[in-house]
Amino acid sequence: MLKAYLGIDVGSISTKGVLIDENREVIRSSYLRTLGRPIEAIKKLVAELFNENKNIEIKGVGTTGSARRLAGVIVGADVIKNEIITHAVAASHFYPEARTIIEIGGQDSKIILLKDGVPIDFAMNTVCAAGTGSFLEHQATRLGIPIEEFGTYALKATSGATIAGRCTVFAESDMIHKAQLGISVEEIIRGLCDAIVRNYLSTVAKGKPIEPLVLFQGGVAANIGVKAAFERALRMQVIVPRYFLVMGAIGAAFLAQDYVQKNLSTKFVGPALLDINFQTKTFECHDCANFCEVVETYKNSQIIDRYGDRCGKWSEINP
Amino acid sequence: MKVAFPYLGYDTIALKKFVEMLGAEVCLGSPLTARTLSLGAKYSPELICLPFKITLGSFVEALEAGADTLLMAAGARKCRFGYYHYLQEDILKKISNHHQFYAISQYTPYEFFFKKIPKIFGVSPRRVIYATWLLLHHSALIDYYRKLIRLARAIDFTSAQKKESEALRIIENVSNLSAIRKAKNKLKELFQPLFKFKKRIIKIGLVGEIYLMLEPFANHDIEKELGKMGVVVIGRRSLYRHLKHLLHIDTSELKIIIDAYKYLKDSPGGEAIKTVGEAHGFCKTGIDGIIHIYPFTCMPENIAYEALEKMAHDYAIPLLSISIDEHTSKTGLLTRLEAFVELIKRKNL
Repeated sequence: MLKAYLGIDVGSISTKGVLIDENREVIRSSYLRTLGRPIEAIKKLVAELFNENKNIEIKGVGTTGSARRLAGVIVGADVIKNEIITHAVAASHFYPEARTIIEIGGQDSKIILLKDGVPIDFAMNTVCAAGTGSFLEHQATRLGIPIEEFGTYALKATSGATIAGRCTVFAESDMIHKAQLGISVEEIIRGLCDAIVRNYLSTVAKGKPIEPLVLFQGGVAANIGVKAAFERALRMQVIVPRYFLVMGAIGAAFLAQDYVQKNLSTKFVGPALLDINFQTKTFECHDCANFCEVVETYKNSQIIDRYGDRCGKWSEINP
Repeated sequence: MKVAFPYLGYDTIALKKFVEMLGAEVCLGSPLTARTLSLGAKYSPELICLPFKITLGSFVEALEAGADTLLMAAGARKCRFGYYHYLQEDILKKISNHHQFYAISQYTPYEFFFKKIPKIFGVSPRRVIYATWLLLHHSALIDYYRKLIRLARAIDFTSAQKKESEALRIIENVSNLSAIRKAKNKLKELFQPLFKFKKRIIKIGLVGEIYLMLEPFANHDIEKELGKMGVVVIGRRSLYRHLKHLLHIDTSELKIIIDAYKYLKDSPGGEAIKTVGEAHGFCKTGIDGIIHIYPFTCMPENIAYEALEKMAHDYAIPLLSISIDEHTSKTGLLTRLEAFVELIKRKNL
């Protein structure tokens, strides 16, 4: 029986799962679309892992990503950690000398600064999500180019068209305008990649010192056009790690391993998870004018989690 | 006469007492809620800062509750706050015509004590001076309570929160100076049993725009959330300090400006120079991290941000900058706070 640790990263666009062994080697990783149904995505992910690896004993589970809380409640996670920490933990394992992590996901982007493998500072996009994965995907669909090939188009161009990167809607009208002028798709895509990098450097990384080694992680790192644009703007090499897509999940698995080694037991539900019916319900609390939206999670019609209220009177009575 | 003024966190209690001392009734409307903010945003120019929207919304709710006299602080030199009252007066005139709106300048103490306040409330200047003197001591008591609850939350969050309502009752029930002194001792007794030091507690310095720092509704209860994570918040901004600054009896003020000098040589308006000075003070005396909160589109704090970024780099102190407007989601804010605290914990390991 192979002992393994599971890391699950449920993001806005995709759900990632990773199995690591005792020596922190990745046994298996999977990536699937969340499609707005995180519970189903998590179940599917776990089912896939069990079907293909019958000889595995899960010793611990960690969850991360924007649905980390929900995922944690459902699978019985030992650690529930946010994306910043998991990305930093995974990055410093593979590249101990890394100083900067650029992470661009489906709907958020962040910069993490490391020193001696420890995160010392970070920033996340606050008021704007321009230049993240969902926008790129939208543009790829609009231009009829598969998202996987989007980056290669940018590399074909020798110069880029100027695209406004601040707001996605204006960026799109700029792209349409440039196309109507007769500029080639390749040049427009390269311009778009430059605009994304410009927006990232001025709104997310503003003022933070970017020092080598620079790692580029998250879904958008698959886009070699954006990677090249970063290299041009920063004038330094940017490394895309082998497991760039699932770095968050890997970090969560590492943290689960650390936790279980200290506490010796796991809360993981196991394959039984697949037969449990999970449901979430929301209601608006009308006890004051805040009208908080309270989210409840049910496990076989039994309530297991409740959150979302400002005053805490609903989440207080969690079983 | 039913008097309303904007909510100001815990300090609302002291301001209420001040108005009552002047012989008027206080009518603030319901506590700040999402409705207050949406009312404020509805009547405000879109890109104005968050404190404007919240204070305007609370005036609208106060008018609904029957207030007839609205008091708003005025005068901020180079910051937008300087024209809050002009705009609010104008907007509120269109909503109701059964009220009087008074802008009270912060920088003209003579007018405050001898002309404006005596005229509005129909009392003698002596009464105003006495009430202000009491306000100063009352807000000092609240400042003291703030320190206690910040530490108590970091040590034992649930017990601290349970004591909050009793503590607020103690603070509310004072009417003269000796009562304030007694209340201070009572608060100390109330929280003393909680202060058992077990481990090293993370200290985070909170700097930024004064309204967002003082009003928990505006900052999404940032202090409570940090307390829940076992962090003690250190923040120097309060009504007490602000009053001392206005009355020119605060000696620490000069120190803050000197501290700021290395990173910000002249005040760009608002409270930016204090933000920078306080943060530098924290850096020099030792702090685990700095959180900077300010309203989205706030000009002075955006300038302060640049200075803070440089300072954080020089002292190798983590800095989290949070700009807040009415669209800010609490979930997003919590993710950032959580990550920030986790980062500090790992750094200290």
